[in-house]
Amino acid sequence: MNLFEFCYGIIHWLVDLVNHLWYWLGDHLPWVFGDFFNWAGDLAVSHGNIALFAILAEAVIMFVIALVNVLNFIWIDRKWMGRMFDFYGPYYVGYRIGGWLQNLADGIKLFVKEIITPAKVDKLGFLIAPVILVSSSVLALSTIPFSPRFGVFTSDLDTGVPAGLLIAFAFFAIAPFSILIAGWSSNNKYTLIGGMRSAAQMMSYEIPLLLCVASVFLLSGSFGFLGVVNAQHDIWFVIPLFLGFIVFITCLAAEVEIQPFDLPEAEAELVEGWTTEYGGFRFGLFMMTSYLRGYVGGALATALFLGGWQGPSIIPDEFWFLIKAYLVFLIIEWMRWSNMRIRVDQILNIGWKRLMPLAMLNLLIAAAFKTMGWF
Amino acid sequence: MAEMWINMGPQHPMTHGLWNLRIKVDGETIIDAEPEVGYLHRGIEKLCEGKTYTQIIPIADRLCYGASLSWSHLYCVAVEDLLGLEVLPRAEYIRVAALEMQRIASHLMWLAAYAADLGAMIGFIYSMRDREVFIDLLQALSGSRITYNFPRFGGVAHDIPPNFERDSLRACDYMEKRLKEYEDLYEGSKVFMLRNEGVGLLKKEDAMNLGVTGPSLRASGVRYDLRKDMPYSVYQELDFEPATHKDGDCYARFKVRMDEMYESCKIIRQAVTKMPKGKWRTLAPRNAPEGTGLGRVEDPRGEGVMYVVGDGTDRPYRLKIRSPIFVTVSAAPKMLIGYKIADVVAIMGGLDMCIGESDR
Amino acid sequence: MRRTGAQVYSSLIAGKPNTVLYPYQKLDLPPTYRGKHTLDFKRCIGCSNCVQICPNDCMWMEKLEDPELGKIERPGVDLGRCLFCGFCVEICPTVAIHETVEFELADQDRSKLRLGPKELRDDKYADTVKEERQKRSLPVLDLSKCTGCEKCAGECPEMCIAMMPIEGVGKQKPEINLSKCTSCGKCVIVCSEKALTMTEVHESYFEMPEPKFILKNCTGCSACAKACPADCIYMMDMPGTEKVLKDGKKGKPKKRAVFVLEKCVGCGKCFRACKFESIEMAGVKR
Repeated sequence: MNLFEFCYGIIHWLVDLVNHLWYWLGDHLPWVFGDFFNWAGDLAVSHGNIALFAILAEAVIMFVIALVNVLNFIWIDRKWMGRMFDFYGPYYVGYRIGGWLQNLADGIKLFVKEIITPAKVDKLGFLIAPVILVSSSVLALSTIPFSPRFGVFTSDLDTGVPAGLLIAFAFFAIAPFSILIAGWSSNNKYTLIGGMRSAAQMMSYEIPLLLCVASVFLLSGSFGFLGVVNAQHDIWFVIPLFLGFIVFITCLAAEVEIQPFDLPEAEAELVEGWTTEYGGFRFGLFMMTSYLRGYVGGALATALFLGGWQGPSIIPDEFWFLIKAYLVFLIIEWMRWSNMRIRVDQILNIGWKRLMPLAMLNLLIAAAFKTMGWF
Repeated sequence: MAEMWINMGPQHPMTHGLWNLRIKVDGETIIDAEPEVGYLHRGIEKLCEGKTYTQIIPIADRLCYGASLSWSHLYCVAVEDLLGLEVLPRAEYIRVAALEMQRIASHLMWLAAYAADLGAMIGFIYSMRDREVFIDLLQALSGSRITYNFPRFGGVAHDIPPNFERDSLRACDYMEKRLKEYEDLYEGSKVFMLRNEGVGLLKKEDAMNLGVTGPSLRASGVRYDLRKDMPYSVYQELDFEPATHKDGDCYARFKVRMDEMYESCKIIRQAVTKMPKGKWRTLAPRNAPEGTGLGRVEDPRGEGVMYVVGDGTDRPYRLKIRSPIFVTVSAAPKMLIGYKIADVVAIMGGLDMCIGESDR
Repeated sequence: MRRTGAQVYSSLIAGKPNTVLYPYQKLDLPPTYRGKHTLDFKRCIGCSNCVQICPNDCMWMEKLEDPELGKIERPGVDLGRCLFCGFCVEICPTVAIHETVEFELADQDRSKLRLGPKELRDDKYADTVKEERQKRSLPVLDLSKCTGCEKCAGECPEMCIAMMPIEGVGKQKPEINLSKCTSCGKCVIVCSEKALTMTEVHESYFEMPEPKFILKNCTGCSACAKACPADCIYMMDMPGTEKVLKDGKKGKPKKRAVFVLEKCVGCGKCFRACKFESIEMAGVKR
């Protein structure tokens, strides 16, 4: 369905409703008051302003959908993990729907905790770091459409917003910056070490990630979401670029700091790593952002490799997209709970010495396919 | 980066027990280490001077809550040496079966904590699930899950419950199947081998000079097991081999403990099938003669020694406990220097620290 | 990874996970489990052995007034200090105190964890549980009926009964060596006064201290006889010790305490009750 037109319609209806009142006031109030209300009514009805509000409404809707999806992700994660470990996941809260309400309960618990700011931290850095992290992840989220007509940045061009995927990856990559600020400003040896490790890990895994993405761009010939997905109408890119898919998933796990790559947040060694000094809802924000980035990564993997929203039309396109994103997430979770943490110098080893050559190889394969004219 | 001292503990989510490890760090590499124990000192040796011999049995259980049966057994061995009391044969076999089950349970708890430290929650949950099997058996035998209060002077407290033989043989079969799966899970994982091989090397001479005993010593290549070299109880009549490994790294310590679990299954099978019939408990004298009694057993963590001095009344004059972990912790600097901070967890976790017995 | 995948399959599709949904499903505990205590008022004799052996000093004796049993002393337990070690169960001479499988004992108020004897009372629990301690039927002497006729000593096939004279009283009493007794019951049948009865006694594995009586200091105050919970002490007259009163009549004779040590449970109440130091117990402090 066309999200833009849906929102436009709703906002238009709302504006009409309010304008009845505005024009009535404009007619009945004398002088400059009346003129003011008439002017306000005309301003609201103009197309550009309604479109602006429609886009805002779209953004809010996408954000809410993303948050609900994050809740779902956490629930699936805990259930899946539970079955792997031979116990039930969340069970009692929301007994009849399988324990889904447990996440809400945990969120509410985090909400009501006292937020403590230690005395000697660097106030600006301490307070800004979560803001940067969350906002950059949500910005990355906003560029992802669920289907050709359902998204914030859809337009009438055939390839969608040009460079849409590039913007998404650019926003995604702001994270190491904020983690370093968080780690340093907490005035704690442990968080400093954790923050530096985390920044090193994330930066070194950006490169194989972007190389895999570059190989997809080669084959699809455009940088935008619509272009990439439409180029997969014959065959999904996961089949020729299987190596790229594997490398992409691994780098995604490293970016989102999921085991086996979560040494910066490791409990065993450095308490909580760079989030040690954050308590209460700030910590909840970090946890939520971790899953949000997992969702963003999963959505990007779907769009790049798994054919986006293409699928038989029994279910609408948006649901196909979501199902595939969940599938990618399940694979990552499976890997997460089956493996152990790797030491940080070994992580960097793997990133530079093993994944990068593989990503290069993938790029060569993509170039080979392109020159052979199959795409 | 400058060198700095980092305190790991005493409040730390994953160091088992309450102790402090100070490491001097240059960047990420460790250049010096200093363990500090004593935060859990409860004054048990002094406490025992005011209680009768029987009343100390449950207190000896609480010395090391990870392997509590072996400590109360050690105490009973020491006091039987003081009193000159012979243990009934059926009771000896029951004690051996229960001790080996306790050994398996203790090693499984070590494995659970070790895996959780390294990041594999899967190992933690699986090991705890398998430990439940043995804890349930010991619960049916003695009545309690962790602090058993089971051995008495000259025997054991209760007889074996019905179906114990069948259940323990089934448990041994189950355990051997699970051990094969653990080998597949851990040794098949490249990450595990990356984190454990070549890490935390303890050479043979260092281990012997520092007085390290138990699986950590056997992992450095020294074949020394009190059950074979100075047999107590009925271990002479049972057929098993102490597990050794020739490297001294974390992987060797892991492998030695896994092999010990196999051997314990073998011992349990033999003990349970060879049990003679008869009485399991006798009357022990109340007042101990003046003299001394010494007990040495192979605890799951090393060699434990207890020395009791009696003075003719029904309370001991002095009780001295030698704990294996207290000595092994002093080997920490030798094992840590030159490795990274992230290896601390693997190395110290591989020593199986139970601070309750170290600080008494 | 294959392992965890297989685990998902086995727990999700092929069966249930290995979880007990406590508190909705109850745990299955063996009968030897050591939980909350129960006390059988009728079996308990108030000897306070359990209080003395508790390693952590968590029991105390409480004086009660019961409609059926009169003035009695029964133990209470402080569950906040209790180790649940089971020693009180093992040492009780009449198997009156047991530990059930009830473990849900938490409370928000620490003082509620001190359970007095009335809260522990359950007179029927002991009949439902299978006792592990072996019982023997042993002859028990009631000294007030005994005439010292020596028939039991002659009849016993194992020669476990020896007639010992009671100093100062001039009578004899049979002393039975309980470790040799085979429970044949011949001494009970032959006794014409019915002073011996076969009772079931539970085997005890704890060696309890035995009181030693010193005749010289005894004044016949009978404090020990009143204190003894197991009816081992009888006060008997010593003929020939009557004092001549002022008006020429003979007064009452002095009494002395006579111990029937086969019944003794070693509680030490006589030792603590005697103010004239005529009872000694080896190794026990006052």
